[in-house]
Amino acid sequence: MWRRSLRPLNAYERQHDYRHSPSLRGRFIVVGAFTIILIALLAIKLVFDYSERLADISYDRLLRSALLQMDENVGQIEGEITIDIPWSAFATLAQASDDRVFYKVESSSQGFITGYFNLDSSPALPVEYGTIQFFDRTYSGEVLRFAWLERYITEPDASGTVRTVLAHTRLSREEMAASITQRAVELITLVALVSIALIVIGSQIVLRPLHRIEQVLESRTPGDLTPLTLKTPRETYHLKVVINDFMLRLQSNLEELENYTGNAAHQLRTPIASLKALAENARDIGKPEQQRQALEKIIEQCEALSDTVSFLLNQATISHRLQSQPMGLIDLVQPIRESCRAQALTALRKGVMLCFESELEEAIIVGDTVAIEQMMQNLIENAVRYSVLENGIEQKEVVIRITPMPKIYRVEVIDQGVGISDVDKQRVFERFYRGRYDIAGTGVGLSLVKDITKYHQAEITLSDNHPHGTVVTVDFPAFKFREDS
Amino acid sequence: MKRFIVWFSCLLASVLHAEPIWFGASTAQRVLYINSTLDMSSFRPLLERFVARHPDIRIGYVDVNTLELYYLTVSESAQPSASLVISSAMDLQLKLVNDGFTQPYRSDETERLPSNAKWRSEVFAFSYEPVVMMVNKKAFANIEMPQDRQALLSYIRQNDEDVSGRMGTYDIRKSGVGYLLASQDARQADATWGRMLEAFGSHGVKTYCCSSDIIDDVANGKLVVGYNLLGSYAAQRAANDSNIEMIIPKDYTLMLMRTAVIPKHAPNALDAGLFIDFLLSDEGQSLMTSEELLYPIRASEYEPHFAMPIGPTRTIRTVDLDQQLLVGRDLVKQRRFIKNWELALELSSDD
Repeated sequence: MWRRSLRPLNAYERQHDYRHSPSLRGRFIVVGAFTIILIALLAIKLVFDYSERLADISYDRLLRSALLQMDENVGQIEGEITIDIPWSAFATLAQASDDRVFYKVESSSQGFITGYFNLDSSPALPVEYGTIQFFDRTYSGEVLRFAWLERYITEPDASGTVRTVLAHTRLSREEMAASITQRAVELITLVALVSIALIVIGSQIVLRPLHRIEQVLESRTPGDLTPLTLKTPRETYHLKVVINDFMLRLQSNLEELENYTGNAAHQLRTPIASLKALAENARDIGKPEQQRQALEKIIEQCEALSDTVSFLLNQATISHRLQSQPMGLIDLVQPIRESCRAQALTALRKGVMLCFESELEEAIIVGDTVAIEQMMQNLIENAVRYSVLENGIEQKEVVIRITPMPKIYRVEVIDQGVGISDVDKQRVFERFYRGRYDIAGTGVGLSLVKDITKYHQAEITLSDNHPHGTVVTVDFPAFKFREDS
Repeated sequence: MKRFIVWFSCLLASVLHAEPIWFGASTAQRVLYINSTLDMSSFRPLLERFVARHPDIRIGYVDVNTLELYYLTVSESAQPSASLVISSAMDLQLKLVNDGFTQPYRSDETERLPSNAKWRSEVFAFSYEPVVMMVNKKAFANIEMPQDRQALLSYIRQNDEDVSGRMGTYDIRKSGVGYLLASQDARQADATWGRMLEAFGSHGVKTYCCSSDIIDDVANGKLVVGYNLLGSYAAQRAANDSNIEMIIPKDYTLMLMRTAVIPKHAPNALDAGLFIDFLLSDEGQSLMTSEELLYPIRASEYEPHFAMPIGPTRTIRTVDLDQQLLVGRDLVKQRRFIKNWELALELSSDD
């Protein structure tokens, strides 16, 4: 009836299994640490780019200021363009303490005026007169940062342009960028390490409720199926509810099993006791004729007992099947027709005719063929059994009908037997309830039917037939094809 | 320009043929050539102590004028004769570094040096040099000696006859350090400098190549005043000659640094480094004071020194060892400055 593991694991296997089970905490830490490291690397890359830009921005400001101071001092003396470089310009540059300085001043009319003659003063960017441009270029074996300015000469009687370039090495810039980067990298590394440590600690705390549930469950006595009352965080609330649900189901299953076993024992004990009584009786009877009669009764009783046992077994089989076999798409008409065909002869012997009425080619539902067959067998047997009791009519008939309704298939089993009283209608589906003890039966037939319909999410109802008899109606939900919806 | 080049070529030729003065055993395995502007009187004890400490090194010492030394170092940049270049012309030394003619050197001693006494770990200052005036005491027997430039100017005004042709200073065309001093004077107090030039010009100032020549003439009475002299030389001579008096100008005192660089392709950079370490070591530094040679770079800030008898004052203007020195050596600025100097002193550029 239930799936269960083949055998319990021994201690060594459990250890092995434990060690090879993926760790939730481990996974959490690995993913968390990986994400943090990724973010940290990204941040470091950004800092690298940013620090270089920042250093360039600050030192370009120096260079610009020095260049402008030089440019301001370009003038004309005795018709010649010349420059008197102010000390302050280079005092500004001296703030980039260890950087070598190069410069060149030239005019369009005079050419080279002063500075480093072989310094390449061509602009690196499109020329815009009066606007400073910055660029890197190699000179004297080092990469220099250039500030370049060319403007029209504003002195009277002079024409053309004067070009001033000022360059210094990148030492201070690199130092500044490196110091920014170093600080940032230290900080980022620290933050990343702290975050990872917090994740490690945090994961322990986060997973603690799970361990608590585990401990509570572990310390329970084997028979304790009461719900967990442990106060746990919201995230594990559902787990707790599911565990409680599961235990509830387990409990109800166990209770059902207990009942079933009890009832089954009871049901079996009575016929066996009566068998024993009959057998003793037969032993003690002296006359062979009476003894033979008694033996006939014993055989009859044995048959009834066998029926009961096979019902019980049937129910166990179907229950197991329902719990273990996945349901599939089946044609409802086919198993019902099969059942009718199988029972027709038996019924006819008892003077009942089975009538199968259906205009459907097929009726697709989600279900299990064997279970449907079992259900129909029980219903038809019941109907036949109750029909036999009715003496009024000669031609006894049980009609089995399948009718399509909106969204459902209705299966009806109609007999013209004695019918079922309203009180009994309420109870016939209970296990081992027998409406009338004068009729042969086990009392498990209809309860099994109920189980099967429940499992198929079908509705079963009992109603009276006119003038007498019973109608059993089972409404199966039709399988919805996509095009229908 | 052409004349200039010819002139320098002759100069260089004369320097190249100068025979070095040798220190240390002739059997020593290693030879360290030093080109320096330092007078032998201020340097000999240091050189002797060094070779005593390092018997395996022999030093060939060549005394060169500051400007010549610069051109020599540049012209020899591919294959320098000297492994160590020592000069008081800080601006030319710094320009050598800036223009890429030198190589860096790092040691415990250079790391110990304050950052304002070195640049790029390529030029190292090992001594200070206060810039002073010197007077002949006889000329000032009845008058108060001028203690600053203003006093000197008024003295010149009042004693027209006496000072005419009897003042001496550097020829800034021939002396690198002379040019540096003049340009720093102009930078510190442009107006005063202008009046000094005017006064020098109108009283037939004599120009010299070197401090020692000016001091000689002050001592023997040819000059009454020598202006812008290197303090260590002046102090040494004043201590031994009662005729002369060293005056530290009170309005402001320029403070130079003597520096050493190792040329880029120096044949013996290793020993040049050793020598720098020696100059910067406690031994070298204290030797400068005890033998009254130089004013050490790591001199006590509060104690008077033979080269700086008044002790450190607030009027000291230390010339920074940094990129600003390049401004003074700008082609146009230098040409104009020298031209103005020549005009003021009524010298023709042919002198």
